[in-house]
Amino acid sequence: MSTAILEMKHISKRFDMTQALDDVSLDLYPGEIHALVGENGAGKSTLIKITTGVYRPDQGEILFDSKPVQINNSQEAQALGIAAIYQEPMIYPDLNVAENIFISHQDRGPIVRWGKMYKDAEAILAKLDVKLDVRMAARGLTLAAQQAVEIAKAISLNVRVLIMDEPTASLSAHEVAQLFTLVRSLRSQGVAILFIGHRLEEVLSVTDRVTVLRDGKRISSRLREEVTIEKVIRDMVGREVSDFFSKGPANRGELLMSVRNLGKKDVFQGITFDAYRGEVLGFAGLIGSHRTDVGLALFGVEPADSGEILIEGKPCKIRSPQEALRLGIAYSTEDRRKLGLNMPMSITSNISLAMLSRYLNRLGLIQRRAEVATAEEFRRRLTIRSSSITTAVEQLSGGNQQKVMLSKWLNADPKLLILDEPTRGIDVGAKAEVHHMINDLAAQGMAVILISSDLPEVLAMSDRLVVMREGRQMGVFDHADATEEKVMTAAMGQVTIQQEVAR
Amino acid sequence: MSARESVLVPVWQRLKSWEGMLIVILAIVFLINSLIAPNYLTVGNQINLFILSIERIIVAVVMAFLIINGEIDLSAPSIMGLSACVTAFLFSQGVDFGTALLISMSIGLACGLFNGFWVAIVGLNSLVVTLSMLICYRGLARVFLEDRSIGKLPEWFNSLGQQKLLGPFPLALIIFFALLAFAVVVLHYSGFGRRVYVIGNNKDAARYSGVKVARVKMTLFIASGMVSALAGLLLAARLGAVRGDLASGFELDIVTMVLLGGVSIFGGSGSLYGVFLSIMIILNIRNGMSLANLSGHFQTGVIGLLLICSVLGPNLAGQVRASLNRRRRIRPLQGSQPNGPGLSQDTDQVLHASSSSE
Amino acid sequence: MNTLVRRFRPEQIRELFLVFLILVIVVFFSVQIEGYFNARFANRLSTSVVVVAILAVGQTLVFLTRNFDLSVGSIVGVTAYLVGQTLWHHPEIPPLGAVALAIGIGMLMGSINGLLVAYGRVPSIITTIATLAIYRSFLVEYSHAVPITTNNLPDWIVELPAGKLFAVGQVEFRVLFALLLLVVVVFQLVLNRLPFGRRLYAIGSNPDAARVAGFPAQRIVFTAFLLSGGLAGLAGFVFLSRFGNISVLAGVGLEFASIAAVVVGGVSNNGGSGTVFGAFLGALLIDLLENSLFRWQAISEFWRDAILGMLILLAVAIDHVVIGRLRIAWARAGLQMTTKEPDEQTEEVTHVG
Repeated sequence: MSTAILEMKHISKRFDMTQALDDVSLDLYPGEIHALVGENGAGKSTLIKITTGVYRPDQGEILFDSKPVQINNSQEAQALGIAAIYQEPMIYPDLNVAENIFISHQDRGPIVRWGKMYKDAEAILAKLDVKLDVRMAARGLTLAAQQAVEIAKAISLNVRVLIMDEPTASLSAHEVAQLFTLVRSLRSQGVAILFIGHRLEEVLSVTDRVTVLRDGKRISSRLREEVTIEKVIRDMVGREVSDFFSKGPANRGELLMSVRNLGKKDVFQGITFDAYRGEVLGFAGLIGSHRTDVGLALFGVEPADSGEILIEGKPCKIRSPQEALRLGIAYSTEDRRKLGLNMPMSITSNISLAMLSRYLNRLGLIQRRAEVATAEEFRRRLTIRSSSITTAVEQLSGGNQQKVMLSKWLNADPKLLILDEPTRGIDVGAKAEVHHMINDLAAQGMAVILISSDLPEVLAMSDRLVVMREGRQMGVFDHADATEEKVMTAAMGQVTIQQEVAR
Repeated sequence: MSARESVLVPVWQRLKSWEGMLIVILAIVFLINSLIAPNYLTVGNQINLFILSIERIIVAVVMAFLIINGEIDLSAPSIMGLSACVTAFLFSQGVDFGTALLISMSIGLACGLFNGFWVAIVGLNSLVVTLSMLICYRGLARVFLEDRSIGKLPEWFNSLGQQKLLGPFPLALIIFFALLAFAVVVLHYSGFGRRVYVIGNNKDAARYSGVKVARVKMTLFIASGMVSALAGLLLAARLGAVRGDLASGFELDIVTMVLLGGVSIFGGSGSLYGVFLSIMIILNIRNGMSLANLSGHFQTGVIGLLLICSVLGPNLAGQVRASLNRRRRIRPLQGSQPNGPGLSQDTDQVLHASSSSE
Repeated sequence: MNTLVRRFRPEQIRELFLVFLILVIVVFFSVQIEGYFNARFANRLSTSVVVVAILAVGQTLVFLTRNFDLSVGSIVGVTAYLVGQTLWHHPEIPPLGAVALAIGIGMLMGSINGLLVAYGRVPSIITTIATLAIYRSFLVEYSHAVPITTNNLPDWIVELPAGKLFAVGQVEFRVLFALLLLVVVVFQLVLNRLPFGRRLYAIGSNPDAARVAGFPAQRIVFTAFLLSGGLAGLAGFVFLSRFGNISVLAGVGLEFASIAAVVVGGVSNNGGSGTVFGAFLGALLIDLLENSLFRWQAISEFWRDAILGMLILLAVAIDHVVIGRLRIAWARAGLQMTTKEPDEQTEEVTHVG
């Protein structure tokens, strides 16, 4: 075995009261894909940030090419050949692709030579087997294409260690496959790749070694052959997670909402389905299938322009979130940071926001006590872990933030709750709690629409499943009929399945 | 627990110290002024101070709402001028004064509606919109008055704001305090006020939570327009004459009053208590400078300096605190804020992307 | 279609559109006014546009970084006065020396802005509203209300506006206009060809990414304000030359004109897009409009500001609505991604934005 290119030895890092990393050691070898997994708060991000120079370790040392180094900032990391790619690619929308690749180069001379830049960019992209118009502004690129540009940027900087922090979280399965091809090609060029991911199946499909962190400590570091998903999960949570996905039997009640031929120009069309009380209706599909847009249409944020929505038999036009709420529809967004919560505000204020008028007296003044009571109730009910309900939500972990957001919508007493990626970016423990909650809600008679790109999740949780592809509806499956293969096939559009209209 | 507390808890500590700082500054200003002119600190004197700038501070109160909401209305002084000019112009043309007054309030409404339309409905940046309307409304005022000034306004109008209604308190001052009280209740205790804060903090999240963002913004711009129109009339009344450039340059004072009061230019935080304190500070500083025979232009320069300091101060303080923390981190701390691993004060480089994998 | 899409970026379309608008205005007014467009008008235009256009170049640099510079009017006033005063008492100073002095004073004031915005992290709107007042009050205090008059100035500077490099028939190519063109060309090159210029676009386009990439964002923003100040100083020199009589109110309102020019010229305040050439065209368009309206009896001169304000608003609104849609259409038209997968059916997936 060749020598390790990057060795983190006995790294410890503390932030005020939290020991983020405790004697963690990790090696990376050139030409290896190494996965780093762990629950939220396990220390993965901190380790990454130490590697890229954002933080400095309190104890321990870092060896690069067997020589001790101090990485004090991101430029020094870059100089060593360490590059990082995050979930949201850091590209410049107004600059073109070629410039995005080369802009951070220090040594291309005092004058910008456009012709050469375009040629060099095309060369690098060719090496990756990616075809992009290098003269196009980066703004129009899809997320996957942007990541390809970032990888190209890393290659142009002669990256030797590439760190990828949750790169697949927003990608469709097709795009993930493309990304992994790029990553494997990097591996064959001798680059060491450190990969953080939450989707364990995905992670295990591409990695050579898996290191698990828990509570700031390194629990295990094994070769792919020695590892199973169950072992990894056990290491991550420290316990047997038996009822990982549990779906109780459906207790379907009456028809709540019928959607007929819903369409929005250039976005989606022909969406037809029924939603019943007590039932979880899943929406599966690749990213770019515009499922979120359907949700936004049902919630009135981006109303549809054709088709019918019938709620309890009556035709309705949903043109604003207020109208949707009045009809009993709530929508929990997939982007909780930017759209779902007011980060610097307290848990209490966030929970009451959608139903604020409920807490106003006749003069329009806020009734504090009622608001606080509501917040306390939800804290208990969803086990939101926080020292007090006056804490700002930005100080909570991802899982707890998600719970606050869900509380806001549950507070609206919806008849139909649309959940858009409710378990994205939260740890396994919180994920299970959310799943239980969804089951409970359905059991209590709520109609739930679950939009999720996590195929095992949506398969396990849904009583029925709508599959969409590029804005079109490809089919509706019963829980019993839905297999991964069938759903993926529908989602990728190679076979069109007859749509099942409501019974 | 006041509405402010639970909404602004994390900013609460900062606010408490900000207003504390303002009180200290005010005390210092009083001290200095008393040294310049003995018997400075009398109620009568303070009343006079307020009256001399009553129009500005009335507009400042409404401006606070707008800035907390994440917007700004730089055209307010121009609306003041426009309404005053149109009123005077109409009157000089023989229109009876009552009608002219009504028309000028309508102008305020119209200007507010116009501003609000572009910002709340079309979605343009309020800075650019109100900057361009600052120019435009000022220009319209000049269309009416050209280079002239109109002075012969009715007697009752001229003493409009000056009448002593309640003890030594003139009408205009009562209007101000009534407005202030109303504003405090609305901003800090009502649902509307909560919505103002929430929108200022994150407009999209507010919208996704069912808040009628456009309606709130439109309301605020209309309020700003109408209050500015009213303030313009009060100004004309007090000055006794109207010129095309009435209220020109007030932007600086008004914005300074709001920002010095602890309202963040980025929206989502701040309180009217701080704004009131900062109003007192600015009025007394200006007065002190006048007593020391410093020119109006010089005073304006000082206000400019104050504006910079009101933002620079906390920034520098934050950087100092950050570097102190960096040094302190070598020794483990007892019982400080429960910062998650993502919230390091080390660097600004907290990447939104990566914190989702915490 | 694809090559067309690739060849013209939205900014270039904007520039073409501006040229078109200029032509439309000329045609319109030629119909309305007798003897409207002649050599004399063109000459006068070429001189009157210089001050605002130079300011617009500086403002472009600042806008690209997502900032504003509202203090340029005061900087013009201060430099015009100080240079005028210096020439009054030291008429032997050569022209280049006077220009250098003007630029130097402007840079000094610009650097104060830069320090506060880049290092003090005071938002530029606040900083420059404040320095607008501070610089103006400095001018008032310093000058003690003694104005500069043309009598006090050496002849060369008073005659400069009329000076020409050469003439084609009646149309003169004036020195000041040549100066303006020089500035435009130089800065267009800076923005297009120097790493500094490209980084300006980068920081405005994605400040977070720029920070992570290690760009010296603070230094770059500081430099933008420094240059804006320097250019304002140069504009102050031209102002002095054009008007000669400098009072304490010199330059009041110029910041708005420069912002109007820049916005009309397609420079976005969200940073990252726009060109110096566009700003120049914007200044030209506005100046042309103003001068034309001035000659048109139908509208009194007092409408000037009202129209200016509406123009800015219109430009911004059009930008927002039309160009936004164009950009999406652009993206849709030009995008293809194919990663060759030996084991997967290759399907050209055209992603819709």
